[in-house]
Amino acid sequence: MTLASPAHPAPRQRFWRSRAFRRFSRNRLALIGLVMIFVLTLACFFGPYLLPFDELYIDLRARFAPPGTGAHIFGTDPLGRDIAARLFVAGQTSLIVGFAAMLISTVIGVLIGVIAGYSGGRLGASLMRLVDAFLSFPAIFLLLTLAAFVSPSAMMITLIIALTSWMEVARIVEAEIRSYRDRDFVMAARMLGLSRSHIMFRELLPNVMGPIMVAATLTVARAILMEAYISFLGYGIQPPLPSWGNMLNGAQQYLASAPWLAIVPGVAITLAVTGFNFIGDGLRDALDARADHRA
Amino acid sequence: MLRYLLSRFWQSLILLVLVSLIGFFVLNLAPGGPLSQYALTPGMTKEALDRLAEQMGLNRPLIVQYLDWFGRLLRGDWGNSFRDGRPVLDVIAGHLFATLLLMGASTLLSVAIGGWIGIRSALKEGSPFDYGATIFAMVALSIPTFWFGLVAIYVFSLQLGWFPAGNMYTIGDGSLGDYAIHLVMPAVVLALVNVAVWSRYMRSATLDVLGQDFVRTAKAKGLPPRRVLMKHIVGNAMVPMITLAGLQLPTLLSGALVTETVFTWPGMGRLFLDSLGYNDYPVVMGLLMFSAILVIVCNLLADIFVALVDPRIRLD
Amino acid sequence: MTNRKNAFSINRRQSLAFMGAAGLAAIIPGFGRGGAANAQTDPTGQVIVGFSQEPTVFNPHLPHIEVDEGVYYAVFDPLIDVDPDGNFFPLLAVEVPTQANGGISEDGKTWTVKLRDDVTWHDGTPFTAEDVKFTLELLVNPDFRSWRRNGHELITEINVISDTEISWTMERSFAPYASILATTFIVPRHAFEGVDPNSAPFNNSPIGTGPFKWQNRVAGDHIELVANPDYFGDGPYLERLVLKYIPDLTVLYTQFRSGDVDAVGVQWITPDHYAEASTLPGRVVDIAGSATFESLTFNLQRPQFQDRAVREALYYAIDKQSIIDALYYGVPKPTETYMPREYAYFNPDLPQHEFSIERANEILDEAGWERGDDGIRAKDGVRLSFTNSTTAGNHLREQAQQFLQQTFAEVGAEMTISNLPPAVMWGDYWMMSEFDTVIVGLNCFAGPDPDTSDYFRSTSSPATGGSGQNTWVYNNPEVDELLVEGASLMAQEERLPIYRRIQEIMREDLPFLPIFQYAVVRGKKEGLEGYAANINNRIDTWDVRSWKWS
Repeated sequence: MTLASPAHPAPRQRFWRSRAFRRFSRNRLALIGLVMIFVLTLACFFGPYLLPFDELYIDLRARFAPPGTGAHIFGTDPLGRDIAARLFVAGQTSLIVGFAAMLISTVIGVLIGVIAGYSGGRLGASLMRLVDAFLSFPAIFLLLTLAAFVSPSAMMITLIIALTSWMEVARIVEAEIRSYRDRDFVMAARMLGLSRSHIMFRELLPNVMGPIMVAATLTVARAILMEAYISFLGYGIQPPLPSWGNMLNGAQQYLASAPWLAIVPGVAITLAVTGFNFIGDGLRDALDARADHRA
Repeated sequence: MLRYLLSRFWQSLILLVLVSLIGFFVLNLAPGGPLSQYALTPGMTKEALDRLAEQMGLNRPLIVQYLDWFGRLLRGDWGNSFRDGRPVLDVIAGHLFATLLLMGASTLLSVAIGGWIGIRSALKEGSPFDYGATIFAMVALSIPTFWFGLVAIYVFSLQLGWFPAGNMYTIGDGSLGDYAIHLVMPAVVLALVNVAVWSRYMRSATLDVLGQDFVRTAKAKGLPPRRVLMKHIVGNAMVPMITLAGLQLPTLLSGALVTETVFTWPGMGRLFLDSLGYNDYPVVMGLLMFSAILVIVCNLLADIFVALVDPRIRLD
Repeated sequence: MTNRKNAFSINRRQSLAFMGAAGLAAIIPGFGRGGAANAQTDPTGQVIVGFSQEPTVFNPHLPHIEVDEGVYYAVFDPLIDVDPDGNFFPLLAVEVPTQANGGISEDGKTWTVKLRDDVTWHDGTPFTAEDVKFTLELLVNPDFRSWRRNGHELITEINVISDTEISWTMERSFAPYASILATTFIVPRHAFEGVDPNSAPFNNSPIGTGPFKWQNRVAGDHIELVANPDYFGDGPYLERLVLKYIPDLTVLYTQFRSGDVDAVGVQWITPDHYAEASTLPGRVVDIAGSATFESLTFNLQRPQFQDRAVREALYYAIDKQSIIDALYYGVPKPTETYMPREYAYFNPDLPQHEFSIERANEILDEAGWERGDDGIRAKDGVRLSFTNSTTAGNHLREQAQQFLQQTFAEVGAEMTISNLPPAVMWGDYWMMSEFDTVIVGLNCFAGPDPDTSDYFRSTSSPATGGSGQNTWVYNNPEVDELLVEGASLMAQEERLPIYRRIQEIMREDLPFLPIFQYAVVRGKKEGLEGYAANINNRIDTWDVRSWKWS
């Protein structure tokens, strides 16, 4: 599974929003990424209304129609269902799973990162050891082990992906928070008697939003890839609900006779993941001061 | 140094205990079990399955099973495979070579190509080459490895017939050339992602070095650019690269497993999926622990190595 | 990636089928009689058989799966075996014990078996009755993880009469025991002396009496066996037998096409490749029946399935022919029963299924199942809505499942697909009847015996505290009685009406909806002879002793 590299710790700047935004909007790749995701999302959520086919309707007489047969622009699958219709609905599943997994894993990662970074000491150290422990498994091992033993509903798959991808965020947030812990404004907040959770989540967290956003974007990309892989192996989202991954499930068997079964969903996955990676990379550059003297 | 090593050692041990706990409970809390694969055998009865579970100690409380397993592990006994009764370490060792071969070949490829792209991008920062390399890296990072493998099989194996579609060697052949031709596609597919990663890191490492005074001095002294490049830039950029190699290991391992499933490569990824399918928990646990140890040791080695070659970094 | 589901997928419990009587005389040559050293040419050549699962358990009495038996038939021998017609023939025994020849006593309780005197183990030790006694005892040894005790646990006493004669007494007359003996491979007593049978060295380097000797194993790849020159029977004709593990059915087929494997074993050629495979030059491809039948299985404890009308209506709503022709490429045959058509006990006179949405709707209407606003029928507050599960990752079955979902919806039945990973699916979920409906390929027979007590008797439901695999929780006193009676009778002509009647009742009661009887697409290179299908044995190598290149 491909993983984008973690964000470089970004040096802090005031008013990063506006400067970063300008830099981001100058970044052509990031804009392309945004457009790609926008178009894909539109297509997935509105595309099905434009097609004359139901993504679930089985027509055994029309099976294995190559792309361009009649109104089947991407052909049909082994049950004669329209691949274009399935592709769009599958995109909804995959995008939602990707986003939901990102949300969950970001929440977990931020919680653990903030607590570990602010508390430090034994608690902080043991939380970070837990992070290390999760990172010591190759992600795929952990993912498959989990997936092999739960009922593979979309919800469970999302949870599993989230459970195996919160560690990067936790690490980034922990490092950032730790670097702020002893700053003046934190000291001041403590003097004022503000509660720990207030300091952690109201005072410290907003300073770390940039790196979190970068990591979150890259996590969506990663989650889409992971869903694709476990569904490809048959442990993921179950038919008849289509997902980009489970459309690829079984495609290897028909590679010689019906290659479009493999090619079409794969291209969609690549497009979506590339889009998110472009955005993430653009965000990172925009938030990275060093980008100034480079770009 | 010694103190550092000791503390790292203890930390690693604690890590391994955590890893084993997570793995063991994930595996064993799930419904079903290792015996369910026999359920559909003609004439199988629930009674027979229960008896086997009893004999194999599978119906003891989980914590007892875990302590038993962990105690044996401490004494060097990784348990025996449910499938063929062989020691887990032997089973893993039998698949290790294939995975190492694939990972090694692919790492060589990706370091060479990725390194070259990265240095060239850095030297020509902002050029069309640099820009193209960036786009390439981003797209390569986004292509699902297994899907890329499928496409490669379709094009180079099914359509062009240049390379075999899978396996590590032809039965009854097994010559060096035969291994090589089987290795090409999986190694290249696995390398794709890693070329992207390496080129990005090499680029930024080279940029960092380029910005430093001694490189400027060397250039000012009129050293030939090639020598500056080889001696100073590459030499200095290699240090973070080695750390990266250690950190990249879990990703590389994951990638190798994915690649193995598509190319039916008889390595640890294949073994892992098979063992999951047969519910061979001892082997699954063994693989989890083995890869965790590998990752931890490699990270440690990378740290030590960096400390040794770069006197500026002190480990304490 | 078809592999990871292999352990559970449709085909795994299939045995080979009757291929046609032609050439059988050549397949089972010269056993039992003559016995003296065979004047035959030295074994030559090798055969590579491709399996899509890996044989890993080499002690035939430890828990194992079908593919492991591929090794057993080459390395070991049972006392007797079964030919493709369902007739027993002797291997280590001199003759098949029957009541007619005195091998089985009149009351059916005492069995006496005469053994060959010219058999040695691969390590040179002579084979004797003590080995047979040891094997029968090992199977019920409480410290041993015995694969199967059915039948063996009825033995109350074993007498070694001489080195070449053994007898035992059973609690009751138990006809299926002959079939069980046919898969009970005899293991050498001396290999287990003083060691834990669960972890004996023997388990990883087996010593047998069979036509091939253990050579070596490359884990994850292949097993190599070499000819046993001292084999007591006719054969072997091959110098070497390689069992190659190819974990992907598509690759397995590709290697068969390219000639890398000489024969395709367990899991065979996938139906979608059948048409292409039949046209390959230099290859012989045929379809062989299997003892596994595919069915939609009900959990009769669920209120919606207690009404027979529902089960019947759903049967009408299955478009069997489309499933078989389109999804399975016409390879398997539709069936009305759990009994393979090749078996002598098969009942050919069962009512024929027809696909009729109208008829299904009529039946449900008459039975008072009214359509609700959402189009789903309900009666007395019970909605005609249920889940259907099978092994996740079995592509063909998943396709059939989705097709069923569509036709069921047309009769107002809502079927939700909820597939599970194999370890979960066939654990308690299946055994303790925690499902609503399941699509499953079942083989209820260990060999040619028609007994299905462990599946159909009301006392065989684990969900109600029984032991067995009656996961339908089917309960019919008449079937219970018939099964007890059938198992105690030894003569086929007395048993025949009983088992045909049971099939009639099952077709009437429909605790499961039979869809088709499996068939496998076997392939071998032209010139490989003596390679016959046998529905009574689960694995291709059952006749490996007679394989040869022409």
